[in-house]
Amino acid sequence: MSITKNAVTPSQKMAGGIAVPRMLQISALFVLFLASIPLGYLLLRAIASGFAAASAVLLREKTVSTLITTVGLAILVALFSAMIGISSAWLIQRTNLPSPGLFLVLGTLALAVPSYVSTYAWIALIPSFAGFAAAVFILSLTTAPYVLLAALASLRRIDATQEESARASGLTASQVARRVIWPQSRPAIFASLLLVMLYVLSDFGAVSLLRVDTFTRVVHTMYKATFDRSAAAVVALILVLLAAILIYVEYKARGSAVAAKSGLGSIRSATRIDLGFKKYLAASYLLIIAIASLGVPIYVLITRFVSVAAEINVSNLVSATIATVSAALSGALLAMLFAIPLGILAARYSGRLSRYAEFGILLTHALPGVVIGLALVALGSRLGFLYQSLPLLAFSYAVLFLAKAVGSIRTSIARVPRVYDDISRSLGNNNWQTIRKITIPIAAPGVITGFLLVLLTAMKELPATLMLRPTGFDTLAIEIWTQTSISQYGQAAPYALILVLVAATPTYLLSRPDRAQSSESRENMTL
Amino acid sequence: MTSLRIDGLTVTYANRPVLNELNLHIPSGAFATVLGPSGCGKTTLLRAIAGFISPFSGTIRFGDQLVSVSSIVVPPERRKVGYVAQEGALFPHLTVAQNIAFGVSSKGDKQEIVDELLVLIGLSKLANRLPNELSGGQQTRVALARALAPEPKVMLLDEPFSALDAALRDDLRAEVSSLLKLRDTTTLMVTHDREEALVVADLVALMRHGQIVQTGSPVEVYHQPVSPEVAISTGDVLLLDSQKDDLGKINSILTPQLLNKEIIAGKLVIRPEEIRINSDGLGVKATVIDLDYYGHDAVVHLDAGGSKINVRISGDLKFKVGDQVGLEHIGPIRWFPN
Repeated sequence: MSITKNAVTPSQKMAGGIAVPRMLQISALFVLFLASIPLGYLLLRAIASGFAAASAVLLREKTVSTLITTVGLAILVALFSAMIGISSAWLIQRTNLPSPGLFLVLGTLALAVPSYVSTYAWIALIPSFAGFAAAVFILSLTTAPYVLLAALASLRRIDATQEESARASGLTASQVARRVIWPQSRPAIFASLLLVMLYVLSDFGAVSLLRVDTFTRVVHTMYKATFDRSAAAVVALILVLLAAILIYVEYKARGSAVAAKSGLGSIRSATRIDLGFKKYLAASYLLIIAIASLGVPIYVLITRFVSVAAEINVSNLVSATIATVSAALSGALLAMLFAIPLGILAARYSGRLSRYAEFGILLTHALPGVVIGLALVALGSRLGFLYQSLPLLAFSYAVLFLAKAVGSIRTSIARVPRVYDDISRSLGNNNWQTIRKITIPIAAPGVITGFLLVLLTAMKELPATLMLRPTGFDTLAIEIWTQTSISQYGQAAPYALILVLVAATPTYLLSRPDRAQSSESRENMTL
Repeated sequence: MTSLRIDGLTVTYANRPVLNELNLHIPSGAFATVLGPSGCGKTTLLRAIAGFISPFSGTIRFGDQLVSVSSIVVPPERRKVGYVAQEGALFPHLTVAQNIAFGVSSKGDKQEIVDELLVLIGLSKLANRLPNELSGGQQTRVALARALAPEPKVMLLDEPFSALDAALRDDLRAEVSSLLKLRDTTTLMVTHDREEALVVADLVALMRHGQIVQTGSPVEVYHQPVSPEVAISTGDVLLLDSQKDDLGKINSILTPQLLNKEIIAGKLVIRPEEIRINSDGLGVKATVIDLDYYGHDAVVHLDAGGSKINVRISGDLKFKVGDQVGLEHIGPIRWFPN
């Protein structure tokens, strides 16, 4: 007689303290171990270099100036991104701006243009385009959609009756904005700004092409120029520390942002403010932003594409696309595979292991592509057969996008409450039959969407690909990067065009105003 | 035909007993209800019977078959239990017909079984709808049909009507209980609604702190409670401070008597409908201080020498605030020492 000892709670109400099945425990721990390899290796390298050597690296003038550049860039970008994002959201949601739906799509579509593609476009247009100010410009435009989406979501959440009550009790419109709307939008906007700063910390393509020495560029240069990987590891760890601080603050802020979400029933939106003839001024403002973030890249891509159309090397284009898809596909599959035990753990169990897993996932989220690239290239060179291999590249993607993959699995599994399992069991199905007939069919759509988002993000990945790709393995991102670095702007255009087209599809689908998408799926698109 | 017998069942959660040496016997084909406040372990009891959790000790028998004894626990898929959860918990990706067919293993008469059940629950026209297109009452009906389809030996209902509005709840409850009695399915329904527990049951089990404190017919548990606490759980009561002497005479505000010596203090348990109000002032003197009028009946709040007494009368309201009346106890004497 085969006996299954079921480890489930006496009641849903008594969540917590449920025994996690052994298989799940083991696979979750195994994934956490794998995901901790890059950071662990860097720490070991840094420790091995000794305290004196590490502190020498830390106190170098270059390190200090890099820190100032990186932090300064992050703060300035957050500032401008907030200005653009909040003002656009307000104009789109709260005024009689002409065709707000179009401006929303234009505002979010900028997400589809990787920062290195828009940088390339601006350089192709203005060859002298470089430096700190240029980086602020590009990264502000690239990241403004995150703030726009966050501000828009929180504006939509605020019920009109709140504003009407405030007006009725004698507040002016601007007092309402300051005392009613802003306090409620602040947590969400604050969280989005932390994500923006995290983006700036991790960005490699734009700052490198613009020759701005932030930590990502410095780490990459140190890796290229010297074989002193220990020093590079120390610098990379500073970057991780900065990112970890942001992640931690964002994590805390997100908790309070969720708590601030209140109110039941349907929300009535506020009446739009009549801007009078100024609405054309507002439209022009949004149009200028759209031209800078979308218009210029698309114009440059198309004109350059046309100018080189005759001499396009189709076979190169095809092989680059195949390389991109194969690397991204294996990376995304691996990421989802890794995410399965962690996602189930997060959705179904609370307890010590779940908390460790959440902490581990947050930590991987704090690892920029450059850092993972550095760690794995150093490790791979010791392992020989893995050095510059496709599996190692896929592994780097899996670690890089683990947080995103776990997020999608967790939300999907959360759609299958435990009571469905119980009922399926009582109707004569064993554990595996239940997973096949209930869990998988209900969770699959969310998992597939998550997989596609990871896949598309992986296709745009640059720094880790640059450091870990097999020799001659040129993806679309690599081609754009290489051609732009040697000022072959025309040659880069076809690759960039394909990349933008591929990336634009899901962005467009998620930005459509008629789609009631959760902020989580939007969040999943970020970085 | 299967009886359900539970002996000494203990279920622990984080080393704390949720069910504590619980005993319960439900004869074959009976409709039993378990009534208890939330947190007393009702749902845990159902989950242990269904096999979703492993008990710490004790036995569960379906007829002659032992399904749970010490560490040997038959998994839920081999117990043949029907389980209807709160709010139905229909599988959202399957249609009404697919939900009902879910537990039917025989391929041949699957369609026949589903059709028959659809007729029984009156939803034949909605066979191809998805659960999110159904009302709450329809979802509960489908959940019941789904549980009935594999012809379970024991049916377990976990507050299946709690999410429905009052009028629908009464109708559906009657419908469901007659359906289950028709099929002679041994049924255990847990609820915290005392009227619900009494109205459909052949057998009522009263649960407190992880134990069954009394079982009996609805009339028995309502009229012969084993403790004041049990009396409260099945309906409104008046608990009157009273004294009993060595001859068994009981003195209280409603039963004033001169007592002999060796007096024991205790409580007299009286239902609000067991007191007659005499407008001619016969009996214990009292003043009407408030009235709650419900239409079909009414509750009269009285003051009898400083004690607050509530009396339930029929809807024909003959009193007004300030009336001087007499009170007379007309029910059985239920006395419990403190």
